Amino acid sequence: MALLDVRNLQVAYRNPSSDDQTMAVDGVSFAVERGETLGIVGESGCGKSTLARALMAYCRPGGEIVGGEVLFDGTDIFGLKDEQIRALRGSRMAMVPQDPLTSLTYHMKVGPQVDEILRIHQELDAKGARLHTLKLFAGTNLPEPEKIYHRYPHENSGGQRQRVVIAGALACEPDLLILDEPTTALDTTTEMQVLKLVKELRDRMGTALIYITHDLTLTDYMCENVLVMLNGKVVERGQSSSVFSAPQTDYGKALVAAIPRVDAKIATPAQPNKAKDGAPLLKVEHLSFRYPSRWSVSALFNPVEEPLAVDDVSFELPRGETLGLVGESGSGKSTIANIIVGLSAPTSGAITFDGAALGATDRHRSPELKRRIQIIFQDPLSSLNPRRRIESILTRPQEIFFGVTGKAARDRAVELLEDMELSADLLKRFPRQLSGGQQQRVAIARAFAASPDLILCDEITSALDVSVQAHVLRLLRGIQIKTGAACLFISHDLGVVKQVAGETVVLRKGRAVEAGHTSGVFDNPSHDYTRLLLAAALRQENYADLVEQASRTEIVGNEP
Amino acid sequence: MLVNDKPLLSIVTHSPATTIGVTLVTLHLLNAIFAPLLIPYGSTQLAGMPLIAPGHPDFLLGTDVIGRDFLSRLMMGGRTSITVAMIGVMGAVIIGTFFAVSAAHFGGYYDDVVMRIVDTKLSIPGILFVALFVVGFGRSVTVLTIVVGLSYFPGAVRTIRAQALTQVPLAYVKAARLRGESALSVIIRELTPNVIEVVVVEFAIRTSSAILIVSALSFLGLGISPPTADWGLMVSEGVNQIYEAPWLILLPAVFISTLVVGLNFASDGIANALGLDAARGLGGH
Amino acid sequence: MFRAMIRRTLLSVLILFLVAVFVFLATEVLPGDALDVYLSEDDVSVMTLEDIEEMRQELGLNVPAPERFFTWLSGAVVGDFGVTIVDKIPIGDIVFNPLLNSLQLGAIITLITLPVAFAIGATAGYYRGRRADAWVSTTTIIGYSIPDFVIGTVLIIIFAVWIPLFPAVITAYNDAHPLELIAVSLLPAITVIIGHVAHLSRLLRVGFIETMNSDFVERARLSGVPERNIVLRHVLPASVIPTLNAMALYMAGVLSGLIVVEKVFGYPGLGIELIEAVDTREVHVVQAIAFLGAVLVVVMNLLADFAIIALDPRVRSHVSER
Repeated sequence: MALLDVRNLQVAYRNPSSDDQTMAVDGVSFAVERGETLGIVGESGCGKSTLARALMAYCRPGGEIVGGEVLFDGTDIFGLKDEQIRALRGSRMAMVPQDPLTSLTYHMKVGPQVDEILRIHQELDAKGARLHTLKLFAGTNLPEPEKIYHRYPHENSGGQRQRVVIAGALACEPDLLILDEPTTALDTTTEMQVLKLVKELRDRMGTALIYITHDLTLTDYMCENVLVMLNGKVVERGQSSSVFSAPQTDYGKALVAAIPRVDAKIATPAQPNKAKDGAPLLKVEHLSFRYPSRWSVSALFNPVEEPLAVDDVSFELPRGETLGLVGESGSGKSTIANIIVGLSAPTSGAITFDGAALGATDRHRSPELKRRIQIIFQDPLSSLNPRRRIESILTRPQEIFFGVTGKAARDRAVELLEDMELSADLLKRFPRQLSGGQQQRVAIARAFAASPDLILCDEITSALDVSVQAHVLRLLRGIQIKTGAACLFISHDLGVVKQVAGETVVLRKGRAVEAGHTSGVFDNPSHDYTRLLLAAALRQENYADLVEQASRTEIVGNEP
Repeated sequence: MLVNDKPLLSIVTHSPATTIGVTLVTLHLLNAIFAPLLIPYGSTQLAGMPLIAPGHPDFLLGTDVIGRDFLSRLMMGGRTSITVAMIGVMGAVIIGTFFAVSAAHFGGYYDDVVMRIVDTKLSIPGILFVALFVVGFGRSVTVLTIVVGLSYFPGAVRTIRAQALTQVPLAYVKAARLRGESALSVIIRELTPNVIEVVVVEFAIRTSSAILIVSALSFLGLGISPPTADWGLMVSEGVNQIYEAPWLILLPAVFISTLVVGLNFASDGIANALGLDAARGLGGH
Repeated sequence: MFRAMIRRTLLSVLILFLVAVFVFLATEVLPGDALDVYLSEDDVSVMTLEDIEEMRQELGLNVPAPERFFTWLSGAVVGDFGVTIVDKIPIGDIVFNPLLNSLQLGAIITLITLPVAFAIGATAGYYRGRRADAWVSTTTIIGYSIPDFVIGTVLIIIFAVWIPLFPAVITAYNDAHPLELIAVSLLPAITVIIGHVAHLSRLLRVGFIETMNSDFVERARLSGVPERNIVLRHVLPASVIPTLNAMALYMAGVLSGLIVVEKVFGYPGLGIELIEAVDTREVHVVQAIAFLGAVLVVVMNLLADFAIIALDPRVRSHVSER
C-alpha cells in the first residue's frame, strides 16, 4: 500500500465578486511510496502550492476541497475529525513553507516554537522538549544551538531560519515531508547547503518527500519521480531524469527548452554591433560605494563605517555589446546599476560615458544624457505606473525627450509594441491587466522609446516564469540589434547571462573576482567563487565539498 | 461606469447595508437640496402657538417652544452642518493630500516638520481644539468651517502619507525621476493618482465624522448658533421640554443618526468593495 | 532599548512644547491678546481707551507676546495656569476637582471598554465572513454613527422620564466624594462606552484578521498546534501590537468625548468647566484645559510606544541599532 494515495483531487477558490468558483487543482491523482521523493513542478499559478496544502487537508481562506480523496497510510484524511487531522499534522506529515521569515512567529523566540510542536505530539515536558529541540538544531547543522534557541526569527540569517523550520517539521520524524519552494527565498550557495541537508535527513530518516518547485533542474537533482502541472492539472509525469532529458508533451518540451542552462553548448553570443574604433561607450574605473551611515549622537563618538557595498570595481563596455554582471544578492550588482543610472552617487571612482565623465547623480546630468542611458527594472508591475494606460506610459518619454506628442507619438508607441510582439490593442489597457511577461515587454519598449545608447537590465527576468524568460530575452536581443544599443546585463542567473553576454564580470561582496569572455569565465573559471556558483547552478554532487573547501579559504563567509 | 474595473452599480449593491446606506444618504441629500422649496413655513418664522402637538392640520409635526413649525425646522436642520462638514473636510483632504504626498516623496527634514505639526494637532483632542478657536475667534459658520478643516487636516495627512510611502520606493517613481520629470510632476502626475482611493475613502469617513462633531458642537453651544435650524441645536433646545414633548428631541435625533449611519454604511461598503480597509482609518475623532 | 525609550520621551517633550506654542498662538496672539478675546463689542463700546489700557496693565498683557508665552509656559509646567480675568481665582483651583472627576469617569469607561472591545473584535475576526462577523460589523457601524448626545439624551428619556430609575440631571458638586460620583456614572459611562467599543472592536478585528492570514499561523496550523494555542500564543500578541498606538490615541480622546456627556448629564467634570469658560470667554481656563488634554494624549501615546518596544522584538532591535 502506498503511503499517500491521491485520487482525483479538486480544490476550488471562491471568486470574491461573484458566486462562481475557479478550479485551482483540477482532478489530480498520484501516489507516493514510503521513502520516495516526488517532485511537483509548475510555473506560478499552476496550483502546486494549493495542492501541497490540500494533501494535509488544509486550504487557504477562500479555498475549498470540492472533490476527490487523499488516502494517507490507508486512511481518507478528509473523513477525519479536526482533532484527528491535527494529530497527523506536524507528527506524521509535515510541511516546510516557502518563506521562513514570515512563517515563524515574529514575537516568539525560535526555540520555543519548535518546543511547541514536540509538546503537542510527544507529551514531553518543557525541559524534555527543550533538550530535544537543541538536538534537532544540532542535527540540522545550526551552529551554536543554545544561542539560536534564544533568538527571535529576525535575528537569524535566511539559511538559519529555514534550518529552524526544517528542524520543526522533522521534530516528530514524520513519514511524509512536503517542501513548498523551500529555497526560493535563499541565495544560491545557501540553497545548495539546505538541499544537501534535506537529502541527508531524508536518507537518515527514510522520510518520503514531496518537493514543490518551479525549477526543473532542482527536481532533477532532488527527486526520483516528477509531476509537471499546468492550470491545476498534471500534464506530464515520470522519472525525473527522463522527463528532464526527453519530455513527452509539448508543454514539457517547452519548459525544458526554456531553461537557461550553464552547461548548454552555445557559442558566446555574437556581438553584431561591435564598433571598429576602440573607445568604449562606458568605462567604469575603481568604482566604490558605501551606504551613508545614519546620523546619531553615538555615531559621533564611536564612528563605525558601513562596509563598502561596491569595492574598487572596474570594467569597460564597448558600443553595441552586452556585458554580464553576475553575483548573488548583496554582491553589489544592483548598486552599480543605480550609480551608473544616477540614482545614487559613487563614494569614489570614475565613470566615463562616450568619452566624457558622468555627473554624480541624475541631477548633474543633462536631459540628453538621461535619454541616452536607460534602465529596465526587476519587477515589471511596479516599474509601470498602475494608474497610467500603456499609451501614456509609452508616449511620455517621447514627449519629454523629443517633444513628440499626439499621433506621431502614438504611432511610435505602436511600432515599439510591435517590436515587442505585442498588439496595439494594449494601448488602452492598464498595466495590471497585462501578464507579467507583457508588462516586462512594455517596460523594455518604454526604455527603447528614448532611443538609448546604453541600456541597463537589472535582473529583468528573475520575476518571470521560465517559459516567459526566454521569449523576453529574445525580444530584448532583437531590439538591441535593431537599435545598436549597448547593454549592461545584471543577473544572479548564470544560465541567462551565458545566453546574452559577450563578456562577464563576476561580483562577490562588492568586488569583481573574475572577468573576461563569457565562454572563458564559464568553461574555465579561474576563481574558486566562480566555480562555486557554477557548481550550484549545475547542481553538482561535489558542490558540498566545494563549499567546505571554500569556507576554509574564506570565500564563503559564515552566515551572520 | 467603472471604478477600479468594477461596475459602479455592483459596488453600490455590494451588501444590503451598503444599499441601505446609499439610499439613506441619497434621501438626506435630496431633502437637504430641495427643502427650501418644499417647507410649509420659514425655518425661523414664528408661525403659530408654541408647543402644538404633532397631527395638527396646519402643523404636521407641531411647533416648538416658541411656535416655529417643527417639520420645516427638521427638514432644514441638516443643511448647515452638512455644508460645513463637507467644505471643511474637502479642504482638509485636498490640501492634506498635497502635503502628505510631498512629505512622502521628499522625506528628510521636510517630512519631519510636516509630521511634527501633524503630531502636535493630533495631541489636542477634538472638541478641545475647537474650543480654543471658538474662544479666540468667536462663533461663526466661517470659523467653524475652517476649524473643521484644521481638525481633519492632520489625520488626512497621516493616512494618505502612509499610502504614499508604499508607492515612493516603487520602480515607476524612479523611472519618472530618471526621465527628468520635475518633483511637482512626480507628486501630481505619478504619485497622487495612486493614492486617490485612500483620499476618497478618507473624505467619506471624515465627512460623517465631521457631521457628528459639528452637531455635537452645536449641541454644546460651540457650533452653529440660534436661531438657525440645526439638529444638534434642536436637541439641546428640546431638553427643557423633555417631559412634555420628547419628540422635539427624538425626531432631530433620528434625522442626524440616520444620516451618519447611512454615510458610514455607504463608505464602509464602498471601501470593502474596492478592497480598502475602512476600519484602519477610524482611529478616533 | 533604553536609548529608544529616551528618544521617544524627548520627542514627546518636543510635541508638548509645540502644543503649548500652538495653544498660545491660537488664543492670545492671532486673534489679539487675552483681553481682546475677553471683551465683547458691547464692553468695548462703553469703555474708554484708558480703561482698557488700565485693565491690560493689570493683567500683565502689556509685555511682548514671547515673554508672556514663557511666563505662561513656566507656570503651566508646575500646574500654575494663572488666574481668571473676572474673579482672579487661580485656574489650578478651578480645574483640579473637575479634572479628577473626569479622569475617574474616563478610567471607568476605559476599564470596561478594553476587555469588551477585545472580546468582540477577536470573535468577529476569528469568525470572519460568518454571521457573527457580519452582525458585529453592522452593529458597530450603527454604534459609532449615533452621536453621544443623542444616545445620552435618549437614555435619559427612557430611564429617567419614561421609567424613572435615575435622576434626569446629576446634582453632585465638583468636590463630591468619588464613591458618590461612581453611583451616578452609570448612564454617562454607558453612553460613551457604546461608541468606543464599536470603534475599538473594529480596529482590533482588522488587526486580528491580518494576523490570522499570516504565514506563521498557517505554519502553526500545519504543525498541528491547537486553535486555542494559535489564538492565545501566536495571534493575540501579534494583532494587538500594531493597534496599540491607535488604541492609546483613542483612549486619550475619552476626555474630549466626555465633554458632551458631562453636558448631557450635568456630570461635574472638566467638560462643564470648559463650556462655561468658553461662554464667559475665560481664555486662560480654556488654555489650561486644552493643554491638560494634550498632556494626557502625549503620555498615553508614550506608554503605547513603550509597550510596543517591550513587546515587539523587531522594533526593539531596530530602534536600538540607531
